[in-house]
Amino acid sequence: MSQPGVAGPASPRGSRSGAGAGRAWFKVARNVGIPLLSIVLLLALWEGIVVVFHVAPYIAPRPRQAILAVTQNWSVLWPLTLGTIRETVYGFVTGAVLGLTLGVIMAKIPVLQRLVYPVLVLSQAVPIIALAAPLVLILGFSVAPKVVIVAWIVFFPVTVNVLDGLSHVDQDLINLARVFGAPRWRTFVQIEIPATTTPMFSGLKIGATYAVTGAIIGELAASDGSSLALYQEHANSNLNTAAVYGTTMLMTVIGISWFLLVVGAEVWATPWQRRSVARRRWRRRA
Amino acid sequence: MSPSLLELRDVGKVFGDTVALEPTTIAVEQGSFVAIVGPSGCGKSTLFNVIAGLLSPDSGAVIMNGKAVTGTTGHVGYMLQKDLLVPWRTVQDNITMAARLTRRVNESDRVEARRVAEQYGLGEFLNHYPSALSGGMRQRVAFMRTLVTHQPLLLLDEPFGALDAQTRLEMQQWLLQVWRDTGRTVLFITHDVDESLFLSDRVVVMSPRPGRVVADFVNTLPRPRTVDTLTDATFIELKSRVMHLLHGGAS
Repeated sequence: MSQPGVAGPASPRGSRSGAGAGRAWFKVARNVGIPLLSIVLLLALWEGIVVVFHVAPYIAPRPRQAILAVTQNWSVLWPLTLGTIRETVYGFVTGAVLGLTLGVIMAKIPVLQRLVYPVLVLSQAVPIIALAAPLVLILGFSVAPKVVIVAWIVFFPVTVNVLDGLSHVDQDLINLARVFGAPRWRTFVQIEIPATTTPMFSGLKIGATYAVTGAIIGELAASDGSSLALYQEHANSNLNTAAVYGTTMLMTVIGISWFLLVVGAEVWATPWQRRSVARRRWRRRA
Repeated sequence: MSPSLLELRDVGKVFGDTVALEPTTIAVEQGSFVAIVGPSGCGKSTLFNVIAGLLSPDSGAVIMNGKAVTGTTGHVGYMLQKDLLVPWRTVQDNITMAARLTRRVNESDRVEARRVAEQYGLGEFLNHYPSALSGGMRQRVAFMRTLVTHQPLLLLDEPFGALDAQTRLEMQQWLLQVWRDTGRTVLFITHDVDESLFLSDRVVVMSPRPGRVVADFVNTLPRPRTVDTLTDATFIELKSRVMHLLHGGAS
Protein backbone atom coordinates (compact mmCIF):
# COMPACT_ATOMS: atom_id res chain seq x y z
CA MET A 1 0.00 0.00 0.00
CA SER A 2 1.20 3.46 -0.80
CA GLN A 3 1.12 5.92 2.06
CA PRO A 4 -1.38 8.56 1.07
CA GLY A 5 -2.82 8.81 4.54
CA VAL A 6 0.42 9.23 6.44
CA ALA A 7 0.97 12.85 5.59
CA GLY A 8 -2.79 13.16 5.53
CA PRO A 9 -4.90 16.26 5.24
CA ALA A 10 -2.30 18.61 6.62
CA SER A 11 -3.57 22.02 5.71
CA PRO A 12 -4.12 24.11 8.81
CA ARG A 13 -7.14 26.34 9.05
CA GLY A 14 -6.43 29.96 8.04
CA SER A 15 -3.37 30.96 10.02
CA ARG A 16 -3.71 34.02 12.20
CA SER A 17 -0.01 34.38 12.84
CA GLY A 18 1.14 35.54 9.40
CA ALA A 19 0.96 39.29 10.06
CA GLY A 20 4.01 41.19 8.88
CA ALA A 21 5.35 44.36 10.51
CA GLY A 22 3.02 46.53 8.41
CA ARG A 23 -0.05 44.53 9.37
CA ALA A 24 0.97 44.57 13.04
CA TRP A 25 1.23 48.36 12.96
CA PHE A 26 -2.17 48.54 11.30
CA LYS A 27 -3.65 46.33 14.02
CA VAL A 28 -2.29 48.59 16.78
CA ALA A 29 -3.68 51.64 15.01
CA ARG A 30 -7.06 49.95 14.67
CA ASN A 31 -7.26 48.53 18.20
CA VAL A 32 -5.86 51.54 20.06
CA GLY A 33 -6.32 54.44 17.68
CA ILE A 34 -10.04 54.08 17.04
CA PRO A 35 -11.04 53.85 20.74
CA LEU A 36 -8.83 56.88 21.46
CA LEU A 37 -10.50 58.73 18.62
CA SER A 38 -13.92 58.06 20.16
CA ILE A 39 -12.76 59.69 23.41
CA VAL A 40 -11.41 62.70 21.52
CA LEU A 41 -14.74 62.98 19.66
CA LEU A 42 -16.62 62.85 22.96
CA LEU A 43 -14.51 65.70 24.37
CA ALA A 44 -15.03 67.67 21.16
CA LEU A 45 -18.79 67.17 21.46
CA TRP A 46 -18.65 68.45 25.04
CA GLU A 47 -16.61 71.45 23.96
CA GLY A 48 -19.03 72.08 21.08
CA ILE A 49 -22.14 72.02 23.28
CA VAL A 50 -20.60 74.40 25.83
CA VAL A 51 -19.55 76.85 23.11
CA VAL A 52 -22.64 76.69 20.87
CA PHE A 53 -25.21 76.92 23.66
CA HIS A 54 -23.20 79.45 25.68
CA VAL A 55 -23.34 77.23 28.77
CA ALA A 56 -22.36 79.20 31.85
CA PRO A 57 -19.01 78.15 33.42
CA TYR A 58 -20.69 77.39 36.78
CA ILE A 59 -22.97 74.88 35.01
CA ALA A 60 -20.33 73.20 32.85
CA PRO A 61 -16.73 74.12 32.09
CA ARG A 62 -14.94 73.39 28.85
CA PRO A 63 -13.07 70.06 28.86
CA ARG A 64 -9.73 71.87 28.92
CA GLN A 65 -10.68 73.78 32.08
CA ALA A 66 -11.81 70.58 33.77
CA ILE A 67 -8.52 68.87 32.90
CA LEU A 68 -6.55 71.92 34.08
CA ALA A 69 -8.43 71.84 37.39
CA VAL A 70 -6.99 68.38 37.88
CA THR A 71 -3.43 68.95 36.68
CA GLN A 72 -3.01 72.23 38.58
CA ASN A 73 -4.04 70.57 41.84
CA TRP A 74 -2.21 67.34 41.14
CA SER A 75 -0.17 67.45 44.36
CA VAL A 76 -3.41 67.43 46.36
CA LEU A 77 -5.28 65.04 44.09
CA TRP A 78 -2.58 62.41 43.64
CA PRO A 79 -2.64 61.07 47.23
CA LEU A 80 -6.45 61.01 47.10
CA THR A 81 -6.32 59.18 43.77
CA LEU A 82 -3.91 56.67 45.26
CA GLY A 83 -6.38 56.16 48.11
CA THR A 84 -9.23 55.43 45.68
CA ILE A 85 -7.00 53.11 43.66
CA ARG A 86 -6.02 51.25 46.82
CA GLU A 87 -9.66 50.77 47.86
CA THR A 88 -10.56 49.63 44.36
CA VAL A 89 -7.71 47.14 44.09
CA TYR A 90 -8.11 45.68 47.59
CA GLY A 91 -11.84 45.42 47.14
CA PHE A 92 -11.57 43.95 43.65
CA VAL A 93 -9.04 41.31 44.67
CA THR A 94 -11.09 40.40 47.75
CA GLY A 95 -14.26 40.20 45.67
CA ALA A 96 -12.58 38.20 42.91
CA VAL A 97 -11.13 35.62 45.32
CA LEU A 98 -14.39 35.40 47.25
CA GLY A 99 -16.41 35.14 44.03
CA LEU A 100 -14.20 32.42 42.58
CA THR A 101 -14.22 30.43 45.83
CA LEU A 102 -17.98 30.68 46.21
CA GLY A 103 -18.54 29.74 42.57
CA VAL A 104 -16.36 26.63 42.90
CA ILE A 105 -17.85 25.52 46.21
CA MET A 106 -21.40 26.05 44.99
CA ALA A 107 -20.73 24.16 41.76
CA LYS A 108 -19.25 21.22 43.66
CA ILE A 109 -21.86 21.02 46.44
CA PRO A 110 -25.35 21.30 44.90
CA VAL A 111 -27.07 21.44 48.32
CA LEU A 112 -24.98 24.45 49.23
CA GLN A 113 -25.82 26.03 45.89
CA ARG A 114 -29.56 25.90 46.66
CA LEU A 115 -28.90 27.19 50.14
CA VAL A 116 -26.59 30.07 49.24
CA TYR A 117 -27.90 31.26 45.87
CA PRO A 118 -30.96 33.11 47.28
CA VAL A 119 -28.72 34.87 49.81
CA LEU A 120 -26.40 36.00 47.01
CA VAL A 121 -29.30 37.40 44.98
CA LEU A 122 -30.59 39.08 48.12
CA SER A 123 -27.19 40.66 48.72
CA GLN A 124 -27.34 42.33 45.32
CA ALA A 125 -30.91 43.53 45.83
CA VAL A 126 -29.81 45.63 48.81
CA PRO A 127 -29.17 49.19 47.58
CA ILE A 128 -25.44 49.64 47.97
CA ILE A 129 -25.81 53.19 49.28
CA ALA A 130 -28.12 51.96 52.04
CA LEU A 131 -25.45 49.46 52.97
CA ALA A 132 -22.78 52.08 53.53
CA ALA A 133 -24.22 53.50 56.76
CA PRO A 134 -24.33 50.23 58.73
CA LEU A 135 -20.86 49.38 57.39
CA VAL A 136 -19.49 52.59 58.90
CA LEU A 137 -21.09 51.68 62.21
CA ILE A 138 -19.41 48.29 62.11
CA LEU A 139 -16.05 49.12 60.52
CA GLY A 140 -15.56 52.84 61.20
CA PHE A 141 -13.97 55.29 58.77
CA SER A 142 -11.01 53.14 57.79
CA VAL A 143 -10.33 51.68 54.36
CA ALA A 144 -12.30 48.59 55.40
CA PRO A 145 -15.88 49.70 54.61
CA LYS A 146 -14.82 50.82 51.11
CA VAL A 147 -13.09 47.51 50.47
CA VAL A 148 -16.19 45.66 51.63
CA ILE A 149 -18.45 47.67 49.31
CA VAL A 150 -16.20 47.09 46.31
CA ALA A 151 -15.89 43.37 47.10
CA TRP A 152 -19.67 43.23 47.57
CA ILE A 153 -20.16 44.51 44.02
CA VAL A 154 -17.37 42.51 42.41
CA PHE A 155 -17.93 39.02 43.81
CA PHE A 156 -21.42 38.53 42.41
CA PRO A 157 -20.77 38.54 38.64
CA VAL A 158 -17.65 36.42 39.28
CA THR A 159 -19.59 33.81 41.26
CA VAL A 160 -22.44 33.65 38.76
CA ASN A 161 -20.12 33.29 35.77
CA VAL A 162 -17.80 30.75 37.42
CA LEU A 163 -20.80 28.71 38.55
CA ASP A 164 -22.23 28.84 35.05
CA GLY A 165 -18.86 27.97 33.50
CA LEU A 166 -18.27 25.01 35.78
CA SER A 167 -21.72 23.56 35.19
CA HIS A 168 -21.25 23.76 31.41
CA VAL A 169 -17.94 21.93 31.14
CA ASP A 170 -18.35 19.27 28.42
CA GLN A 171 -19.41 16.07 30.20
CA ASP A 172 -17.70 14.01 27.48
CA LEU A 173 -14.42 15.69 28.35
CA ILE A 174 -14.88 14.80 32.01
CA ASN A 175 -15.75 11.23 30.99
CA LEU A 176 -12.60 11.10 28.86
CA ALA A 177 -10.55 12.09 31.89
CA ARG A 178 -12.27 9.33 33.88
CA VAL A 179 -11.47 6.76 31.20
CA PHE A 180 -7.83 7.84 31.38
CA GLY A 181 -8.03 7.01 35.10
CA ALA A 182 -7.78 10.62 36.31
CA PRO A 183 -8.55 11.33 39.96
CA ARG A 184 -11.27 13.92 40.43
CA TRP A 185 -8.98 16.67 41.74
CA ARG A 186 -6.72 16.40 38.69
CA THR A 187 -9.72 16.59 36.38
CA PHE A 188 -10.78 19.67 38.30
CA VAL A 189 -7.37 21.36 38.04
CA GLN A 190 -6.56 20.32 34.47
CA ILE A 191 -9.98 20.45 32.82
CA GLU A 192 -12.66 22.22 34.82
CA ILE A 193 -10.73 25.25 36.07
CA PRO A 194 -9.11 26.12 32.71
CA ALA A 195 -12.47 25.61 30.98
CA THR A 196 -13.88 28.29 33.29
CA THR A 197 -11.25 30.92 32.46
CA THR A 198 -13.31 32.74 29.85
CA PRO A 199 -16.57 33.02 31.88
CA MET A 200 -14.52 33.95 34.94
CA PHE A 201 -12.96 36.88 33.07
CA SER A 202 -16.43 37.93 31.88
CA GLY A 203 -17.38 38.22 35.55
CA LEU A 204 -14.15 40.04 36.41
CA LYS A 205 -14.68 42.55 33.61
CA ILE A 206 -18.22 43.32 34.79
CA GLY A 207 -16.83 43.65 38.34
CA ALA A 208 -14.01 45.91 37.14
CA THR A 209 -16.41 48.40 35.55
CA TYR A 210 -18.32 48.82 38.82
CA ALA A 211 -15.40 48.58 41.24
CA VAL A 212 -14.50 52.31 41.23
CA THR A 213 -18.17 53.23 41.62
CA GLY A 214 -18.20 51.11 44.77
CA ALA A 215 -15.09 52.78 46.12
CA ILE A 216 -16.56 56.26 45.55
CA ILE A 217 -19.85 55.30 47.24
CA GLY A 218 -17.80 54.07 50.17
CA GLU A 219 -15.82 57.32 50.28
CA LEU A 220 -19.01 59.40 50.20
CA ALA A 221 -20.50 57.53 53.12
CA ALA A 222 -17.46 56.68 55.15
CA SER A 223 -14.70 59.27 54.81
CA ASP A 224 -13.44 61.14 57.85
CA GLY A 225 -11.49 63.74 55.92
CA SER A 226 -9.55 63.20 52.75
CA SER A 227 -10.87 61.30 49.78
CA LEU A 228 -11.58 61.93 46.14
CA ALA A 229 -15.34 61.88 46.74
CA LEU A 230 -15.11 64.43 49.56
CA TYR A 231 -12.77 66.59 47.48
CA GLN A 232 -15.46 66.73 44.84
CA GLU A 233 -18.19 67.56 47.35
CA HIS A 234 -16.01 70.31 48.71
CA ALA A 235 -15.39 71.72 45.21
CA ASN A 236 -19.12 71.59 44.58
CA SER A 237 -19.98 73.59 47.69
CA ASN A 238 -17.32 76.15 46.66
CA LEU A 239 -18.94 76.44 43.20
CA ASN A 240 -15.65 75.26 41.67
CA THR A 241 -17.41 73.63 38.71
CA ALA A 242 -14.24 72.90 36.78
CA ALA A 243 -12.87 70.87 39.71
CA VAL A 244 -16.19 69.00 40.06
CA TYR A 245 -16.04 67.94 36.42
CA GLY A 246 -12.31 67.33 36.61
CA THR A 247 -12.68 64.99 39.59
CA THR A 248 -15.41 63.07 37.78
CA MET A 249 -13.06 62.66 34.82
CA LEU A 250 -10.29 61.51 37.13
CA MET A 251 -12.56 58.89 38.70
CA THR A 252 -13.56 57.72 35.24
CA VAL A 253 -9.92 57.42 34.21
CA ILE A 254 -9.27 55.21 37.27
CA GLY A 255 -12.24 53.03 36.30
CA ILE A 256 -11.19 52.69 32.67
CA SER A 257 -7.58 51.96 33.63
CA TRP A 258 -8.64 49.20 35.98
CA PHE A 259 -10.93 47.68 33.36
CA LEU A 260 -8.13 47.78 30.77
CA LEU A 261 -5.77 46.12 33.23
CA VAL A 262 -8.23 43.26 33.70
CA VAL A 263 -8.66 42.97 29.92
CA GLY A 264 -4.86 42.90 29.64
CA ALA A 265 -4.70 40.12 32.21
CA GLU A 266 -7.23 38.14 30.19
CA VAL A 267 -5.28 38.60 26.97
CA TRP A 268 -2.15 37.42 28.76
CA ALA A 269 -3.84 34.45 30.42
CA THR A 270 -5.73 33.15 27.38
CA PRO A 271 -3.26 33.22 24.48
CA TRP A 272 -5.12 30.44 22.64
CA GLN A 273 -7.99 32.82 21.88
CA ARG A 274 -5.93 35.01 19.61
CA ARG A 275 -2.88 32.99 18.62
CA SER A 276 -2.51 29.90 16.49
CA VAL A 277 0.98 29.11 17.81
CA ALA A 278 1.97 29.13 21.49
CA ARG A 279 4.38 31.75 22.82
CA ARG A 280 7.85 30.32 23.26
CA ARG A 281 7.88 30.34 27.05
CA TRP A 282 4.51 28.57 27.21
CA ARG A 283 5.72 25.69 25.12
CA ARG A 284 7.76 23.52 27.45
CA ARG A 285 5.35 23.79 30.33
CA ALA A 286 4.13 20.46 31.59
CA MET B 1 -5.60 -18.38 17.85
CA SER B 2 -4.30 -15.58 20.06
CA PRO B 3 -5.74 -15.31 23.54
CA SER B 4 -8.57 -12.88 24.21
CA LEU B 5 -7.54 -9.44 25.35
CA LEU B 6 -11.10 -8.46 26.18
CA GLU B 7 -13.99 -10.68 27.13
CA LEU B 8 -17.56 -9.59 27.71
CA ARG B 9 -19.60 -12.22 29.53
CA ASP B 10 -23.37 -11.75 29.42
CA VAL B 11 -23.03 -7.99 29.78
CA GLY B 12 -26.46 -6.36 29.91
CA LYS B 13 -27.81 -2.89 30.67
CA VAL B 14 -31.33 -1.60 31.26
CA PHE B 15 -32.34 2.07 31.48
CA GLY B 16 -35.75 2.26 33.16
CA ASP B 17 -38.11 0.24 30.93
CA THR B 18 -35.71 0.21 27.98
CA VAL B 19 -33.37 -2.69 27.42
CA ALA B 20 -30.35 -0.78 26.09
CA LEU B 21 -28.28 -3.93 25.79
CA GLU B 22 -29.40 -7.54 26.09
CA PRO B 23 -26.90 -9.86 27.81
CA THR B 24 -24.05 -9.91 25.31
CA THR B 25 -20.98 -12.09 25.04
CA ILE B 26 -18.06 -10.99 22.86
CA ALA B 27 -14.38 -11.93 22.94
CA VAL B 28 -11.77 -9.69 21.30
CA GLU B 29 -8.47 -11.24 20.29
CA GLN B 30 -5.15 -9.59 21.02
CA GLY B 31 -4.05 -7.47 18.07
CA SER B 32 -7.31 -7.73 16.12
CA PHE B 33 -9.45 -5.00 14.61
CA VAL B 34 -13.09 -5.54 15.47
CA ALA B 35 -15.81 -3.30 14.06
CA ILE B 36 -19.20 -2.98 15.70
CA VAL B 37 -21.81 -1.75 13.24
CA GLY B 38 -25.40 -0.86 13.87
CA PRO B 39 -27.99 1.93 13.71
CA SER B 40 -28.44 4.43 16.52
CA GLY B 41 -30.14 2.95 19.57
CA CYS B 42 -28.63 -0.50 19.05
CA GLY B 43 -26.70 -0.25 22.29
CA LYS B 44 -23.26 0.10 20.78
CA SER B 45 -22.41 3.24 22.75
CA THR B 46 -23.80 1.65 25.90
CA LEU B 47 -21.55 -1.31 25.22
CA PHE B 48 -18.59 1.03 24.84
CA ASN B 49 -19.27 2.93 28.02
CA VAL B 50 -19.57 -0.38 29.89
CA ILE B 51 -16.21 -1.55 28.50
CA ALA B 52 -14.57 1.81 29.32
CA GLY B 53 -16.02 1.61 32.83
CA LEU B 54 -18.14 4.77 32.57
CA LEU B 55 -21.26 2.65 33.05
CA SER B 56 -21.75 -0.31 35.35
CA PRO B 57 -23.64 -3.14 33.65
CA ASP B 58 -26.73 -4.58 35.34
CA SER B 59 -25.47 -8.06 34.64
CA GLY B 60 -22.33 -9.81 33.46
CA ALA B 61 -18.63 -9.06 33.64
CA VAL B 62 -15.98 -7.19 31.67
CA ILE B 63 -12.67 -9.06 31.65
CA MET B 64 -9.35 -7.63 30.44
CA ASN B 65 -6.35 -9.96 30.27
CA GLY B 66 -8.16 -12.43 32.50
CA LYS B 67 -8.93 -9.84 35.20
CA ALA B 68 -12.42 -8.54 35.96
CA VAL B 69 -12.52 -4.76 35.45
CA THR B 70 -16.31 -4.35 35.48
CA GLY B 71 -17.31 -0.80 36.38
CA THR B 72 -13.75 0.50 36.75
CA THR B 73 -11.89 2.94 34.51
CA GLY B 74 -8.28 3.38 33.42
CA HIS B 75 -7.79 0.23 31.31
CA VAL B 76 -8.59 1.38 27.76
CA GLY B 77 -7.70 4.10 25.28
CA TYR B 78 -10.86 5.94 24.24
CA MET B 79 -11.80 8.27 21.45
CA LEU B 80 -15.09 9.76 20.31
CA GLN B 81 -16.49 11.57 17.29
CA LYS B 82 -15.83 14.81 19.17
CA ASP B 83 -12.07 15.29 19.33
CA LEU B 84 -12.29 16.70 22.90
CA LEU B 85 -9.01 18.56 22.50
CA VAL B 86 -8.69 21.28 25.12
CA PRO B 87 -8.33 24.69 23.41
CA TRP B 88 -5.90 26.06 26.01
CA ARG B 89 -3.23 23.41 25.34
CA THR B 90 -0.96 23.08 22.34
CA VAL B 91 -0.98 19.98 20.14
CA GLN B 92 1.96 18.55 22.09
CA ASP B 93 0.31 19.20 25.44
CA ASN B 94 -2.96 17.74 24.21
CA ILE B 95 -1.17 14.56 23.19
CA THR B 96 0.29 14.23 26.70
CA MET B 97 -3.09 14.96 28.33
CA ALA B 98 -3.61 11.46 29.75
CA ALA B 99 -0.27 11.63 31.54
CA ARG B 100 -1.10 15.08 32.86
CA LEU B 101 -4.39 13.78 34.22
CA THR B 102 -2.84 10.92 36.13
CA ARG B 103 0.64 12.06 37.16
CA ARG B 104 3.35 14.59 36.41
CA VAL B 105 4.27 14.95 32.74
CA ASN B 106 7.96 14.20 32.26
CA GLU B 107 10.47 14.70 29.49
CA SER B 108 9.95 11.21 28.07
CA ASP B 109 6.22 11.95 27.66
CA ARG B 110 7.11 15.03 25.68
CA VAL B 111 9.69 13.20 23.61
CA GLU B 112 7.16 10.53 22.77
CA ALA B 113 4.50 13.09 21.88
CA ARG B 114 6.95 14.78 19.52
CA ARG B 115 8.00 11.45 18.01
CA VAL B 116 4.41 10.32 17.36
CA ALA B 117 3.43 13.70 15.94
CA GLU B 118 6.44 13.77 13.64
CA GLN B 119 5.93 10.17 12.54
CA TYR B 120 2.32 10.84 11.56
CA GLY B 121 2.70 14.18 9.86
CA LEU B 122 1.93 16.71 12.56
CA GLY B 123 5.50 17.54 13.60
CA GLU B 124 5.21 21.12 12.39
CA PHE B 125 2.12 21.71 14.48
CA LEU B 126 3.38 20.69 17.93
CA ASN B 127 3.18 24.24 19.24
CA HIS B 128 -0.09 25.11 17.55
CA TYR B 129 -3.31 25.46 19.44
CA PRO B 130 -6.12 23.12 18.28
CA SER B 131 -8.15 26.06 16.96
CA ALA B 132 -5.57 26.45 14.18
CA LEU B 133 -6.05 22.87 12.91
CA SER B 134 -8.50 21.34 10.44
CA GLY B 135 -11.03 18.74 11.53
CA GLY B 136 -8.96 15.83 10.21
CA MET B 137 -5.82 17.07 11.92
CA ARG B 138 -7.68 17.50 15.19
CA GLN B 139 -8.95 13.91 15.02
CA ARG B 140 -5.40 12.71 14.42
CA VAL B 141 -4.19 14.62 17.48
CA ALA B 142 -7.04 13.04 19.46
CA PHE B 143 -5.96 9.63 18.21
CA MET B 144 -2.32 10.28 19.16
CA ARG B 145 -3.52 11.27 22.63
CA THR B 146 -5.24 7.88 22.81
CA LEU B 147 -2.19 6.08 21.44
CA VAL B 148 0.33 7.38 23.99
CA THR B 149 -1.75 6.07 26.88
CA HIS B 150 -0.11 2.69 26.00
CA GLN B 151 -3.37 0.90 26.62
CA PRO B 152 -3.45 -2.30 24.57
CA LEU B 153 -7.14 -1.84 23.75
CA LEU B 154 -8.33 1.23 21.85
CA LEU B 155 -12.05 2.01 21.89
CA LEU B 156 -12.98 4.24 18.97
CA ASP B 157 -16.57 5.45 18.86
CA GLU B 158 -17.35 6.82 15.37
CA PRO B 159 -14.08 8.75 15.40
CA PHE B 160 -14.42 9.89 11.79
CA GLY B 161 -18.17 10.45 11.85
CA ALA B 162 -17.94 14.22 11.59
CA LEU B 163 -15.42 14.34 8.73
CA ASP B 164 -16.17 14.79 5.04
CA ALA B 165 -15.96 11.70 2.81
CA GLN B 166 -12.51 12.46 1.34
CA THR B 167 -10.89 13.19 4.69
CA ARG B 168 -12.60 10.18 6.18
CA LEU B 169 -11.09 7.80 3.62
CA GLU B 170 -7.64 9.27 4.23
CA MET B 171 -8.11 8.92 7.97
CA GLN B 172 -9.23 5.29 7.61
CA GLN B 173 -6.10 4.42 5.66
CA TRP B 174 -4.03 6.35 8.16
CA LEU B 175 -5.64 4.46 11.04
CA LEU B 176 -4.89 1.09 9.39
CA GLN B 177 -1.26 2.15 8.99
CA VAL B 178 -0.97 3.16 12.66
CA TRP B 179 -2.73 -0.02 13.73
CA ARG B 180 -0.25 -2.11 11.70
CA ASP B 181 2.71 -0.13 13.12
CA THR B 182 1.70 -0.37 16.75
CA GLY B 183 0.02 -3.77 17.04
CA ARG B 184 -2.77 -2.47 19.25
CA THR B 185 -6.18 -4.06 19.52
CA VAL B 186 -8.97 -1.87 18.15
CA LEU B 187 -12.68 -1.96 18.87
CA PHE B 188 -14.29 0.40 16.39
CA ILE B 189 -17.91 1.56 16.53
CA THR B 190 -19.61 2.86 13.42
CA HIS B 191 -22.99 3.03 11.74
CA ASP B 192 -21.24 3.08 8.35
CA VAL B 193 -21.21 -0.43 6.84
CA ASP B 194 -18.46 0.45 4.32
CA GLU B 195 -16.25 1.73 7.08
CA SER B 196 -16.74 -1.37 9.23
CA LEU B 197 -15.81 -3.67 6.35
CA PHE B 198 -12.92 -1.56 5.09
CA LEU B 199 -11.16 -1.51 8.46
CA SER B 200 -11.89 -4.69 10.37
CA ASP B 201 -10.87 -8.33 10.76
CA ARG B 202 -14.23 -9.08 12.20
CA VAL B 203 -17.64 -7.44 12.09
CA VAL B 204 -20.16 -7.51 14.91
CA VAL B 205 -23.61 -6.42 13.72
CA MET B 206 -26.00 -5.01 16.30
CA SER B 207 -29.70 -4.24 16.14
CA PRO B 208 -31.93 -1.96 18.25
CA ARG B 209 -34.98 -2.45 20.52
CA PRO B 210 -33.64 -4.28 22.40
CA GLY B 211 -29.95 -3.63 21.71
CA ARG B 212 -28.34 -6.95 20.82
CA VAL B 213 -25.79 -8.69 18.63
CA VAL B 214 -27.44 -10.22 15.54
CA ALA B 215 -24.32 -11.40 13.71
CA ASP B 216 -20.60 -11.77 14.35
CA PHE B 217 -18.46 -12.86 11.40
CA VAL B 218 -14.88 -12.87 10.20
CA ASN B 219 -14.12 -10.27 7.55
CA THR B 220 -12.22 -12.17 4.86
CA LEU B 221 -11.22 -9.16 2.77
CA PRO B 222 -7.47 -9.34 2.09
CA ARG B 223 -5.04 -6.80 3.51
CA PRO B 224 -3.65 -4.32 2.79
CA ARG B 225 -6.91 -2.57 2.05
CA THR B 226 -6.86 0.09 -0.65
CA VAL B 227 -9.39 2.18 -2.52
CA ASP B 228 -9.92 -0.87 -4.75
CA THR B 229 -11.14 -2.84 -1.75
CA LEU B 230 -14.28 -0.72 -1.77
CA THR B 231 -15.32 -2.08 -5.19
CA ASP B 232 -14.11 -5.65 -4.68
CA ALA B 233 -16.73 -8.40 -5.28
CA THR B 234 -16.22 -9.86 -1.80
CA PHE B 235 -16.72 -6.38 -0.34
CA ILE B 236 -20.03 -5.96 -2.17
CA GLU B 237 -21.17 -9.41 -1.07
CA LEU B 238 -20.30 -8.77 2.59
CA LYS B 239 -21.89 -5.36 2.43
CA SER B 240 -25.11 -6.80 1.06
CA ARG B 241 -25.15 -9.35 3.86
CA VAL B 242 -24.72 -6.69 6.56
CA MET B 243 -27.30 -4.41 4.93
CA HIS B 244 -29.88 -7.22 5.01
CA LEU B 245 -29.08 -7.89 8.66
CA LEU B 246 -29.55 -4.22 9.48
CA HIS B 247 -32.60 -3.50 7.37
CA GLY B 248 -34.39 -6.87 7.25
CA GLY B 249 -35.36 -8.84 4.16
CA ALA B 250 -33.86 -12.08 2.88
CA SER B 251 -30.29 -12.78 3.96
